[in-house]
Amino acid sequence: MSVLEIIDLKTWFQTQDGLVKAVNSVNLRIEKNERVGLVGETGCGKTVLSFSIIRLLQPTTMIEGKILYKSKDILKLSEREMQKIRGKEIAMILQNPTTALNPVLKVGDQIAEAIWLHQGLKKKEAKEKAVEMLEAVKIPLAEKRANEYPHQFSGGMKERALIAIGLACCTSLIIADEPTRGLDVTTKAQIIKLMKDMTKQRSMLFITHDLEVAAEICDNIAMMYAGELVEYAKTDDVFKNPLHPYTQGIFNSLPNRGLKPIKGMSPSLIDLPSGCRFYQRCDYAREICKNRHPEMVEMENGHFVRCLLYD
Amino acid sequence: MRAEYLIKRVFYSVLVFFITVGITFAVLRQIPRSYPGLDKSVIAQYFVYIYNVLQGDWGYSQGVPVLGLIWEKLYWSLIILVPAISLSLLIGILVGAHFGWKRGSKMDASVLNVMMFTRAIPPYWWAIMFILIFSFHLDLFPLGGYMSISALDRGISYSDILYHSALPIITLTVYSIPGTYYLMRNSMLLTVGEDYILTARAKGLSEKYVLFKHVLKNAMLPMVTMIPLECAYLIAGNIFIEIIFSWPGIGLLTFDAIAAKDFSLLQGIVLIDALLIIIANFSADLFYSHIDPRIKVGGGNV
Amino acid sequence: MYKYRKIGLVIGISVLAAFVLIAIFSPVLAPYDPYKITGAPLEKPNRNHLLGTNNMGQDIFSRLVCGTRATLIVGFGGALLMVLIGTCVGIISGYYGGKIDELLTRAVDVVMALPMFPLLIMLAMFLKPSILTLIFLMGILGWTGCARIIRSQVLLFSESNFISGVKAIGASDIYIMVKHVFPNILPLVLVKFVFATQDCMLMEVGLGFLGLGDPFMIDWGQMINRAYIKGGFALGLWWWLLPPGVSIAFLSLAVASVGHSFENEINPRLRRMIL
Repeated sequence: MSVLEIIDLKTWFQTQDGLVKAVNSVNLRIEKNERVGLVGETGCGKTVLSFSIIRLLQPTTMIEGKILYKSKDILKLSEREMQKIRGKEIAMILQNPTTALNPVLKVGDQIAEAIWLHQGLKKKEAKEKAVEMLEAVKIPLAEKRANEYPHQFSGGMKERALIAIGLACCTSLIIADEPTRGLDVTTKAQIIKLMKDMTKQRSMLFITHDLEVAAEICDNIAMMYAGELVEYAKTDDVFKNPLHPYTQGIFNSLPNRGLKPIKGMSPSLIDLPSGCRFYQRCDYAREICKNRHPEMVEMENGHFVRCLLYD
Repeated sequence: MRAEYLIKRVFYSVLVFFITVGITFAVLRQIPRSYPGLDKSVIAQYFVYIYNVLQGDWGYSQGVPVLGLIWEKLYWSLIILVPAISLSLLIGILVGAHFGWKRGSKMDASVLNVMMFTRAIPPYWWAIMFILIFSFHLDLFPLGGYMSISALDRGISYSDILYHSALPIITLTVYSIPGTYYLMRNSMLLTVGEDYILTARAKGLSEKYVLFKHVLKNAMLPMVTMIPLECAYLIAGNIFIEIIFSWPGIGLLTFDAIAAKDFSLLQGIVLIDALLIIIANFSADLFYSHIDPRIKVGGGNV
Repeated sequence: MYKYRKIGLVIGISVLAAFVLIAIFSPVLAPYDPYKITGAPLEKPNRNHLLGTNNMGQDIFSRLVCGTRATLIVGFGGALLMVLIGTCVGIISGYYGGKIDELLTRAVDVVMALPMFPLLIMLAMFLKPSILTLIFLMGILGWTGCARIIRSQVLLFSESNFISGVKAIGASDIYIMVKHVFPNILPLVLVKFVFATQDCMLMEVGLGFLGLGDPFMIDWGQMINRAYIKGGFALGLWWWLLPPGVSIAFLSLAVASVGHSFENEINPRLRRMIL
C-alpha cells in the first residue's frame, strides 16, 4: 500500500490577474519509507502542490482529482478530520525558517504543542519530549534552548527547530519545502545529513529547486515544469540518463557541467500554451510540439517522461 | 535589553517634551505681555521658561494660574476620555480581530463599509446628530452640560454627572471605534498571512487554538504601539464633542481660549496634551517591552 | 466584494468631481453674493432662497456653494504637502538606510508624538489663519504617517537586487530614487494622498468650526458653528445647520471610498492563495 497516491490532481485558483492553473493533472505515488524529490523552478507550482496535499489553501481554491493517503481520499475529509492528520500523519516543514517560527512563543513550546495535541501527553511531558526532539536534531544545550525564543536562534538552528516540529509526532509522511534555501554551504550540508538521518523510517516529499540536493537525499526524482510533471525516475536514472530536454537543460546549467542556462522563461501559469509547455525553450522543438500536448509515457522500467521525442 | 529600550524611549519622550515646549516658547515670546524676562538672551529665556514649566508655573490667564485652571478642567475631560478610550479599544479590537479572522465574509464587507462611513463623519456632526436624535426627539439624554439645574438645590450627585456624561462618551466612542477597528483588522490580516501561522496549522492545531495562541498575540504587538496615536486622535475629537455638549473640560476651554485669543491658556492646553500623549506612549512602551520577547529577553542570533 | 469596490470607486470619483466643479464655478452657480444680505433673517427654503437664509439674512445656498472652495483647496493642498514631505523622507530613509535611516526614523517618531491638533490650533491662531497657513501647518505637522509607510515599502522594494544592479551600472542616487524607486511606490503614495486629503478636509472644516478658518473665505465649519451657537439647532432651523454638515460628510465619504478602492487594488496581501 502506498503512503500517498496523487491521482490526476488539478489545483486552480482565481486571482485578479486571471485563473492560475498551478497544478495540472499531476500523478505521483510515494511508497512507504520512500523519499521523492520534487524538483522545479520557482513558480512551477510545486509549493501549491504541497499545500494541496496538506490542504492549507484558501477555501476558494478549486481542487480536483484524488489524494489518497493510505487509500483514504483526504480531499473528502472534513476540516476537523484533516486536523487529526496534519502534524500526526502528514507533517510539513515550511521554507524560510526566519518567518516560519512564531516570534512570541518559546521554541520548546512550539514543538511541545504538537506533541501535546496528538499524543495526549501532559504539558510537562510534552515539553520534555520537545527537549528530546531538539537533542535529536542536534541542537546543543537543548534544555536551555527550548526556553529561548526564535530570534535567539541562528538560521541553521531555526531550520533544525522547524525540522523538529515536523518530526515531533512520528509522522509517516514528511513534506519538506526547500529546507536548505538560504543556508550557507556548511550548514546546508549539515541539514542535508540531518534530513537524511531523520527520515530513514519515514516517507518524504522533498521539494527543491536544487537537483543536486535532491539527489543526495531522495530515492526518486519528479521533475515539475509549468504546473505538470515532465519526468519521473529513480535518482540514478535521472542522473545517468536524463530524458526530458528540460531535465537535460537543468543538468547543463549546473556549475560542474558547463553552467549553461536554459534560454527564455517558463510560461505564466495563467496563460499556458496549448502544446508542449517547454516548446519555446526547447532545443529539440519541432512543429508538432507547438500544438500537441504530450502525455506522460513510461520509457524503461519506472522511468517516465512527458515529451514528444519519445512518443 | 529591556532597560536599554525603555531608557531610549524615555529619552524620546523628553525630546518630544522639549520640542513642544520650544514651540510654545517661540509663540509666547512673540506675544509681549505674556512672558517676563525679555531682557535676557533667547536661550536663557528658554531655560527660564522650561524651569518655570517644570515648576508648575505655566503663566496666567486673566489673572488665574493656567495650570490650576487646566488641572480642574482635566478632571472633567478625563470623565469623558477614559471611558471612551477604554470602550473604543475594547470594541474596536474585538470587532477588528473577529473580522480580520473572518476576512472576506459578507459580514466583513458590510462592517468595513459601516466603519468607513463612521470614520468619514466629523465628530461635531456625530455630536449634533446624536443630540438631535437621542436628546431632542427621544428625550433619553440631557441636551448638554454636566448637571441638572436641580443640582443647585440638592448638590451634585454622581448619578447626575453620569447621566450627563453618557451621550458625550457614546459619541466619542462611536467616533473613535473605526480607528482601532481598522488598525486591528489590518494587523490581523498581516499576521494571518505570516508563515508561522501556516506552521501552526500544519501541526494540526485547531482553528481556535491557532487564533488564540498564535495569531492574536502577534497581531496585538503593532496595535500596542498605535494606541497612543489613537489617544491623540481621541483628544482632538473630544474638543469638538465637549463644545457641542457644553461639557466643562479642556475642549470647551480650548474653544474659549481661541475666542479670547488667550495664548497663555492655549500654551497650557498644548503642554497638557503633550504630557497626556507622552504618558500614553510610555505606558504603551512599557507594555510592549513586556509582551515582545525580542525586547523582553533581548539577544540576537547566537 | 471586488466588484462592489469598483462601484464605490465610480461613485466616489463622481461625487468628488461634482464638488470640484461646484468649487470652480461657484461664482456662477451662487445666485447671490454670499456676504450680502439678500432677504429677511431666517427665511425658510423658498423660491428665492433655495436653502433659506441665516440669522443675518444671507443666502445659505450661495454660502454653501462658495464654501466648497476653502475645503477643497486646503484638503488637496495640505495633503499634497504632507505626502510630498512624507514621500521624500520615506524614500531617503529607506533608500540610504544606516545612519540616515536611523536619524530620520527617530525624527518621525518624535514628530509623531507631538500633540498635533492642539499645536495646529495654537500655530494657526498665532500665524493668523489663512488658506496658505493652514496648508503649511497641516503639511509640516502631518507627514509622519506617510513617511513611515513609504519607508517600509522602499525597504521591501530595495531587498530585490535590482536596485544594486542599477547602482552597479553607475546611476546616481537621486536618479535611482526618482526613476526607479518612486515609480514603484507611486500607487501607495496615491493611496496615502487620498486619505490625507480626507484628513485635511475634515481638519479644515474642524478649524473653521473653532473659528480658525480663513477670515476672507466662507467655510462650512464656520457655518456649522454659527448655526449651532446661535441656536439654529435648538429652534429646529434645520436648513441652517444641515447643509454644511451634510456636504462635508458627503465629500469626506466620497474621498474615503476612492481611497479604499485604491487601497484594495494595491494590497497584494489580500490576494494570497495559500491560507
